[in-house]
Amino acid sequence: MSALTPTRTPVPRTPAEPGAEAPARRPLRRDLLRSERPGVRIAAWSTVVVFGGFALLPVYWLLATALTPRDQVFAYPPRLFPATPTLDAFAALAGNEQLFVYLRNSLLVSVLTAVLSVLVSAYMGYSFSKFRYRGRRSLMYFVLASQMFPQALLLVTLYSLFSAYGLLNTYTALVLSFTTFTLPLCVWMLKGFFDTIPDELIEAARVDGASRLRIIHSIVLPLSAPGLIAAGLFAFVRGWNDFIFALTLAGPEKQTLPPGLVNTFVGEAATAWPELMAASLAVSLPVAIAFIALQKYLVGGLTAGAVKG
Amino acid sequence: MSASQLETLHHTSSHSPPRRLSDGQFALLLLLPGGALLLGVVLYPLVAALVTAFFEQSLVVPGRTFVGLANIVDVLTGDFPRLLWQTLVFTVGTTIFPFVIGFALALALNTRIRGAKVLRGLMLIPWLVPGVVVSFLWMWIFNANYGVLNALLESLGVIDGAVPWLAQPGTAMTAVVVAKTWQSFPWMMVMLLAGLQTVPRELHEAAEMDGAGTVRRFFSITLPQVKGIVGLVLLLELIWNFQHFDIIYVLTGGGPAGATQTFATAVYETAFHGFDLGHAGALGLLWMVLLMGLVVVYIRFSEKGEAK
Repeated sequence: MSALTPTRTPVPRTPAEPGAEAPARRPLRRDLLRSERPGVRIAAWSTVVVFGGFALLPVYWLLATALTPRDQVFAYPPRLFPATPTLDAFAALAGNEQLFVYLRNSLLVSVLTAVLSVLVSAYMGYSFSKFRYRGRRSLMYFVLASQMFPQALLLVTLYSLFSAYGLLNTYTALVLSFTTFTLPLCVWMLKGFFDTIPDELIEAARVDGASRLRIIHSIVLPLSAPGLIAAGLFAFVRGWNDFIFALTLAGPEKQTLPPGLVNTFVGEAATAWPELMAASLAVSLPVAIAFIALQKYLVGGLTAGAVKG
Repeated sequence: MSASQLETLHHTSSHSPPRRLSDGQFALLLLLPGGALLLGVVLYPLVAALVTAFFEQSLVVPGRTFVGLANIVDVLTGDFPRLLWQTLVFTVGTTIFPFVIGFALALALNTRIRGAKVLRGLMLIPWLVPGVVVSFLWMWIFNANYGVLNALLESLGVIDGAVPWLAQPGTAMTAVVVAKTWQSFPWMMVMLLAGLQTVPRELHEAAEMDGAGTVRRFFSITLPQVKGIVGLVLLLELIWNFQHFDIIYVLTGGGPAGATQTFATAVYETAFHGFDLGHAGALGLLWMVLLMGLVVVYIRFSEKGEAK
């Protein structure tokens, strides 16, 4: 069941104002057209207005600030609507070469993380899904728990470890650590996918003499393409959003956008707020796109196999 | 891996590769790449970090000296109680508030009000933006001199003059919790909404026929049905917040005067700004013990869910 389809019952689009009873001229399925009781409706709407304000006013402020000219941003009290909206902040970003270095790093590292995560998790997930051996369940739960170990603590020695192998300030260090942290989620997601592939299919291929690896590569993986794409997008987003690893393990020339933006904008005497907000919007965009593509798998993946989806 | 391959040898034929491995061995082989990563990047560093708790060791100078329990004693008699308290305040605050907001919104959007679908999509925005963006945005909102929050509160007559929310010990933790709450509640909302949608409508309709009111139905039908998912989201959120780093680090850096320091930021500071791996490890060891308690509860919980 998709988590993002609210009810299986379509809400009728009546042109009436909210609160009006559904007009009687709509035939059949009266039970679906019956509105909620007024009390429930009022409670629901008040909740949406109050908490929706908390959710969305900051988003509006992010947009408004990004469009405010630099000389107006330090007006007090601030103008709730930019008097002369401008795209200057975005133009200023486009002229900042260092930001493009961060952007390139972010893209590269996130894509590599997605590819490697999917590859490694697919084998692991398949092993958990289709084979039975001692210690399988314990291993599965260890994998699940491993994403819950405190990253700030791991970094204490991970830094020295990468340093010893000359990997500090390399893409390799970032991709390896991001992949490790996306593994648990991807493994559980893909295991769920593989569980739905009938054993008879695999057995039939085996009888035909296909090797076990060939079965994985030519039958199981192609059948699970949607799952692989979903897992890959999850991994991409994790890599894209990470802050602490990129901050610690890489320097300015290999750093990704999150620590890069902190270096660029925070701690200056006067922060260039419009530019920072414009950059924030730009960084959030790929995540939003990935999310729209991911809607279907969202909850199943989030609970990481902990709940039957 | 052992090589007991004799019995499979006579199965080999000229056009398919020999089956050298038993199924069990093949299954383990599939685990190798991921297993190597987990060992190298999670397990080994974790154990090594916990071991440093018993040594005096610097991030920048090679070599170390065994000091026994000295670091742990230092930490316990020093910062630990304050850090534990602050971490708990942060963790509980950033779990309860998103839960209340998320549950209220999930209930509201589970009714048949117009536009529920669009609203739900919009409400997800805070959760989609990267953590650093959340920090930048709230830094700007909380800004003492030009921030929109102060302007708003001043126009309502609630405050007088510039309140430096993030720069004074009395308000910094609250501000950080608000920012984190803003980021977390959509996830809670989505998960709880998914749970609410598994409650069969027939149950509600039957109860309504029997004359049960909305409140009664919520407590007798809805709540028992979503108990499992509620437990799950609360546990996961507690585990994540107990080790949350990004938003605190960018918003306040653990300041002012250590007022928003939690285990995560303190371990990081001690190791990477103080170069003191021994004390970072000692703090981490205590932190880890507490965290694992939560993780064990979570795994028990998941196993119970699977057994259904």
